[in-house]
Amino acid sequence: MTRTSSSDAPVVAGAPAPAAARPSRLRSAGRLLAGRVVSAVVVLWGAATVAFFAQQLLPGDRATVILNIRTGRAQRRTPEELEPIIAQFGLDRSVLQQYLDFLRGLVVGDFGTSYQQFRPVTAILGEQLAATVTLSLVAIAISWVLMVVWVTLTAGRGPRVGAVGSGVDVVAAGLPHYWLGIILLLVFALGLRWFPVMGGTGPAGIVLPALTLAIPLAGFMAQATRTEFERALEQPFVVSARMRGMGDTAVRLRHVLRHAVLPAVTLSGWALGATLSGAVVVESIFSRPGIGSVLVTAVNSQDLPVVVGVVTLVAVVYVVANLAVDIAYTLIDPRVRLS
Amino acid sequence: MRQRPRTTLPLALGLTSMIALSGCAAGSASSSSGERVEGGTIVYAHQQEPPCVFGGWIEQAYLSYQVLDNLVSLDEDGEVVPWLAEEWSASEDGLTWTFTLQEGVQFTDGTPVDAEAIAYNFDYWVAGGNSTAQVWLQDYYESANAVDERTVEIHLKAPYPRLADNLTQGYFGIQSQHALETRSDEENCAAPIGSGAFTVEHWTRGQNITLVRNDEYTSWPANAEHTGPAYVERIDWRFVPDGTTRVAALQSGEVDAVYDVPAVQWQSVEDGGFELHRYITPGRPQQLSFDTKEGPFTDQLVRQAFAYSLDREEIVGTIGHGVIPWEGNGGVSQATPGYSEKAAGWYSYDPDRANELLDEAGWTERNSDGVRLKDGEPLKVVLPYGAGSILNADGAAILQGVKEQASEVGFDVELVPVPQSELFAGAYSTPEERDFEVGYWTSVTAGILYINWRPSTEEAPNYNNGAFYDDPELAAIILEANSTADVEAQNALYAKAQEYIAERALAIGLYDRLSTLAVDPSLRGVWQEHAQGGPTFYDAHFVQ
Amino acid sequence: MTALRPARSPSRPSRRRAPWSLAPAAALVGFLGIALVAPQVLATHDPFALDYAAALQPPSLAHWFGTDESGRDLYSRVVFGTRESLAIGLGAAAVGLAGAIVLGALAALGPRPVAAAVDRLLEVLFAFPALLLALLLIAIAGPSALTQILAVGVGTAPGYARMVRGQILAAKNSGYVQAAVALGHTRWRILRAHVLPNALRPLVAVFALSVGQSIVWASSLSFLGLGVAPPSPEWGALLDAGRTYIVQAGWLVVIPGLVIVALALTATTLGRHLQAGLERGEK
Repeated sequence: MTRTSSSDAPVVAGAPAPAAARPSRLRSAGRLLAGRVVSAVVVLWGAATVAFFAQQLLPGDRATVILNIRTGRAQRRTPEELEPIIAQFGLDRSVLQQYLDFLRGLVVGDFGTSYQQFRPVTAILGEQLAATVTLSLVAIAISWVLMVVWVTLTAGRGPRVGAVGSGVDVVAAGLPHYWLGIILLLVFALGLRWFPVMGGTGPAGIVLPALTLAIPLAGFMAQATRTEFERALEQPFVVSARMRGMGDTAVRLRHVLRHAVLPAVTLSGWALGATLSGAVVVESIFSRPGIGSVLVTAVNSQDLPVVVGVVTLVAVVYVVANLAVDIAYTLIDPRVRLS
Repeated sequence: MRQRPRTTLPLALGLTSMIALSGCAAGSASSSSGERVEGGTIVYAHQQEPPCVFGGWIEQAYLSYQVLDNLVSLDEDGEVVPWLAEEWSASEDGLTWTFTLQEGVQFTDGTPVDAEAIAYNFDYWVAGGNSTAQVWLQDYYESANAVDERTVEIHLKAPYPRLADNLTQGYFGIQSQHALETRSDEENCAAPIGSGAFTVEHWTRGQNITLVRNDEYTSWPANAEHTGPAYVERIDWRFVPDGTTRVAALQSGEVDAVYDVPAVQWQSVEDGGFELHRYITPGRPQQLSFDTKEGPFTDQLVRQAFAYSLDREEIVGTIGHGVIPWEGNGGVSQATPGYSEKAAGWYSYDPDRANELLDEAGWTERNSDGVRLKDGEPLKVVLPYGAGSILNADGAAILQGVKEQASEVGFDVELVPVPQSELFAGAYSTPEERDFEVGYWTSVTAGILYINWRPSTEEAPNYNNGAFYDDPELAAIILEANSTADVEAQNALYAKAQEYIAERALAIGLYDRLSTLAVDPSLRGVWQEHAQGGPTFYDAHFVQ
Repeated sequence: MTALRPARSPSRPSRRRAPWSLAPAAALVGFLGIALVAPQVLATHDPFALDYAAALQPPSLAHWFGTDESGRDLYSRVVFGTRESLAIGLGAAAVGLAGAIVLGALAALGPRPVAAAVDRLLEVLFAFPALLLALLLIAIAGPSALTQILAVGVGTAPGYARMVRGQILAAKNSGYVQAAVALGHTRWRILRAHVLPNALRPLVAVFALSVGQSIVWASSLSFLGLGVAPPSPEWGALLDAGRTYIVQAGWLVVIPGLVIVALALTATTLGRHLQAGLERGEK
């Protein structure tokens, strides 16, 4: 479920450069970081607010919903039945009051209590986060391996190989997660029995879910890398390396690749957020625990505190990842900001 | 995240069986079948994860049944037999029930299972501690009190001779009073304290619950196959929503038993040498109730026409692959005591009759799509259903068959799959919003009719009355049945109520809800409890 | 999916692709065009008629794509599902791009406080997993084709909006705009005559790409059971319904998936050609 969009890079690069005279790199990086942190906080506040009010728009009376979730029966309720629930969750407060209490909770790390599980939301998320983040990281790592191998093998090898190479990129990038996941499950778990059918959290169980996320991501990154790669191959330093008698593979790996992967680095930060989205589908197909399945269950049963918690958490992950990428990017290639 | 490395379980199992094997090697080779292995972990894949171990969902009853004991148990002949209660009796007027408890039973927190604890549990359920127990008891329950340590009295407002039968369902599991009073909601939700054969060890949300053997277990039900603690040491109760995945996991040996085998895979599982259990849940079947308050189905002729337009046997037979039985009775399923064959057979597939009835009801015109019209209004009816919750994929496919067949005689049925969140928010709960209610409700007796058909009044609304049919005559029959002590007379009255429902086409049956299990041949002694078909692992053991 | 190329890099070598690579895409577009307008011409069976005797039959001469659990012909259902699937894809792409243009233009051209606010809003929306935005919307409005269109549109808009913003800023800072400013043209005239056309032209190609992507997205929602109501033959819904029978009747899942992938690829291929054409045109 990769999001069709530009990465951050073009927007940042296309924006007007700061007019200031070239300050020391350290100071500039410091200011960049401070500005970034401020905007990160704004983004988090905004995300949490959007989630809070979106859920307020949900149909139905909240106390009825909570009672119905707890009893597992969908029906109308009498005021006497609802009274204790309203009192327990403070639903008689005004929306504004609820919102302020909610924000106060966020600041001190209290996301409230799940309607269904009677547990603090932070405990639920803490329990599930590791599984999803592991999946995301493994998927990103696999996609890097796939991408690097494929691009190194096929880029700049003439029109035919190039066409096949970029054709595969496009196909891979266009594969829907749900379909790819089912096909992998059908072939390698149900058919060949190479991998367990139930994902679980063991090392063997993560292969297919991670591949499901990694293959489209690899195709996606390969598209960005290939262009750079082919351009780098024509650069003078490549020619000189070749003239020094360096082998083709060595040139590709040691010189060209380093220059070509910058866009993919940017994408990786973005991908962490995107794979979280994909995790919703993948966790459902492979019966894996994680944030995705928590989210689907919570949305399905209107467990509002959990939904808001997941949203805020995902926003945090996104913001932190992009902050890290921004910094890494500036450090790897200081020209970016000033070009 | 506290995560046990997955590999240790099969490894440990493998080791035990190897040790056991080498032990047997000295004996005869023929001992390869049926020799019981002590201990081990049963890996069981269930379909849905409940929010708490104990509660009013059927998923919860199945789970809490391993951890909590009931007062009484139901055996395979439908007889109520002792469990925590040794004996019980009702007073002459039927208003007081006396239960005498087994001696010396303790909850796993060390407190005694005494009369006071039982009385406390009754009050707890009725106050909402278990929503399903609550609806069963609330109109009859007066109070409970401890007479002495081992004797508890339950006082009723009106006679309810089948009280003990109802108490066999998992919703009536007895918990430690001490635990309920002193522990937080969160703790009681995740790991209720009972006196059962297993205790909750750890719940990894989204994945599994591990149950560990209660080595001090003394209170097995009278219909169990052995005495003493359970044979296996642990149950790894996994949550695997997808049926195909569950079956594949069973076939590849990843799990030892699975719940709810998809009908389409029944044959291949059977051919694979797995042991299959099929339990038809008594109570309300998967049925269609018509909205008798608003819309076209206020007209009895239209309801009957709808019933005649369907070949339910064909639809269910094909989608259910011969595993899911079709059900004609809209009141109770064929597994329920007091089931009326007559009510079940009231409507057979007869499109001509359906067309006649619709003509008679004034739906004479048809538009270009073949939908009947009356005063220019099309015969459009809305059928919302809980997709993925109340109805599984097979159920949804069956409804598509209903829609198609009803369209032949001129109904335009709009199927609306409703996510659970919307159902919980009260969508499609009023007569204006829908024309059908679809759904089931498990129950040991036909007393379920009271829950589904009690008239709704201003003071005591009954939102479980899906047909919105507030009829004192029907209610009187059911109430009389509820309080009739003689089983045959009671069943005759319940049957009369079903026929009343059938004659007026207030509800028609579709198919019977199943509880199915598939078990690996290396695991023996798993049985489905007889109150609503949940898996019971107390007697289960591995063999080699 | 396309616009990943950093703005500072030149376009890919303007090597013309062999025209044959367009042939399958063109053929599929033609086929879908007919399926859109007159599905009964292509279908071999009634897509809704039950035939319980013929349930779960593998692909054969009589049933090219096999039959489903109720004996309905899968090929005919796929053909009849074209209209709804494409309508959802086109609708969602239109909603997404329209929202993106408005938001992107505001962020790039609005008065400073507005621009800053929209900028932040975009960042907030972008921080949401798009699927979650869609889930929230569906939870509020209930599942239907219309919600699906809105959900996918809203889910994809923030990404495009950032791209539009970048394009407009790039156009604004380009030499010819600066020249126009020096010539004393009015702000509005510059905007209309130079900035917007140059900034929005690439979106034609992006629209084609986004249709493919939107169909994939929408079918993901159907797959999660949050799409159109059965027995609609919308492709994602077909796939979801087939899941139960994946072992016995894999074609019920594989074939609708292939159709979706083929369509998404076709849209991508066409989009890229459009884009390449536009880039050549610019030079």
